[in-house]
Amino acid sequence: MNLAKKSATACLLAIATHLCSAQTPTTPAQISAAQKSTAATPTLPASPFNRTTVLLDPAHGGSDSGSRISDSILEKDITLALAFKLRSLLAARGFTVVMTRDSDAATQADTPNPLTLDDRAGIANRAHPAACLLLHATAAGNGVHIYRSELEPIPNEVNGTSWLTAQAAWVTQSEKLQKLLGQALTRARVPLVLSRASVRPVDSLTCPALVVELAPKGSDSSSLTNESYQQHVAGAIAAALVFWQNQAQPPVRLAPLPTTPTPKKGVQP
Amino acid sequence: MISRHQRIVFWCLVGCILAMGTLLFVERQRARDRIVALADATPLDAPYSTTESVTLDLANDSDGSITATTRPIALPGEVTARARALLEHLLAEYALPGSPHPLQSGAAVDDVFLLPLPLVGHSGGTTAATSTLIASNDPNALQPQNPGGELAVINLRSSFVNAHPSGVEVESLTLMSIIGTLHTNLPQIEQIRFLVDGQPRETLAGHADLLRTYPSKDTTARAETSVAP
Repeated sequence: MNLAKKSATACLLAIATHLCSAQTPTTPAQISAAQKSTAATPTLPASPFNRTTVLLDPAHGGSDSGSRISDSILEKDITLALAFKLRSLLAARGFTVVMTRDSDAATQADTPNPLTLDDRAGIANRAHPAACLLLHATAAGNGVHIYRSELEPIPNEVNGTSWLTAQAAWVTQSEKLQKLLGQALTRARVPLVLSRASVRPVDSLTCPALVVELAPKGSDSSSLTNESYQQHVAGAIAAALVFWQNQAQPPVRLAPLPTTPTPKKGVQP
Repeated sequence: MISRHQRIVFWCLVGCILAMGTLLFVERQRARDRIVALADATPLDAPYSTTESVTLDLANDSDGSITATTRPIALPGEVTARARALLEHLLAEYALPGSPHPLQSGAAVDDVFLLPLPLVGHSGGTTAATSTLIASNDPNALQPQNPGGELAVINLRSSFVNAHPSGVEVESLTLMSIIGTLHTNLPQIEQIRFLVDGQPRETLAGHADLLRTYPSKDTTARAETSVAP
């Protein structure tokens, strides 16, 4: 009986510690940044952050076929196939996987209208995932190309920030995730390109977000449809995400600065 | 009494005098027209300077790099015409056979507009004398980094955009090449936006963001890490 009580207490303590670590900065840099920002502006409660949720966005779909890899291979089909493989591997590792589409055409809820890129970003932001992976495919180059946002990073997330620059507070986390995925793919002997690019809608995502572009294994673009190649890449990514779920750290949220009405400065033309 | 042959000679001389007078008159008119044409300052063509050495930031698909390359090009003196001609020359390079970043040939840039930052609007009276210029109160409004900084709005043609190859790398390289070339040759441009046929468009060919305001910067130092297994 005592043993049961002790183990229950230990479990509760572990859960409480885990929740605290999810909502408070842990590294010295984060603590000092948080203290500085706290002194200047009031902080808000941390937004929900689901460490065991991963968002997969198989790019394109429906009438938007993406790039034409060859006469019979379309980018939208490869991204969906890779997303299914990743979903299976992540689910097997205990993740909750949210996908923006799981069929050819992605449509808005209750309407036949196709999902816009902003709709996809909305799905991602509402899920509060530990990682958002935007899956693309290309016939150019080889291996895997991983891009993060080109926005300049900002230390804290300001409530009410612009839709087109919402990723700025998360760029530091996205960079860490990019390095982690890069290391995992290098260990898996997959050729790799790490870079930055402005790909819609990555700049509007409020999560660690990366564009993962699958390129052919060698010079043959038909290898993109190779099941074992896709499985190999998906396995490396899923393994990296297991490590990532404990490292991800959402930025401190700040309340917007009070806007004082300023007289309009007019100049004669 | 004047003899017949003397009369013939007289009238022949009179005819020659008249012919020479007419010829002189016509030549005088022609010379006058030429001088008037030379003195006419009405602008018919954009003023082009002599050929100058211009730096183009050229993209390469094989290694994802952007390299600064100089080309002898005659460009107009007026700054917006210069920016447009610069981009037309840049994109024409990609239409050449054997280009490392192949794009379709044809006109690509409809226009380039340069707007001084910060962007202002008119308020107040109905005439220029009574209206005032007001700056936006929006904290996210575009602000200049330096005095005289400008926003370049590049209006691309839909024929160019619709024919652009699709892919993250290839689309990003096109945008970075445009941004880098403008940054090198027109340093007063601080920010760059893109339109397609005068309308905002989400992406270039399904990937690269065209809604974003890009900072003008040196893109030859584009950070890209390639790791071979």
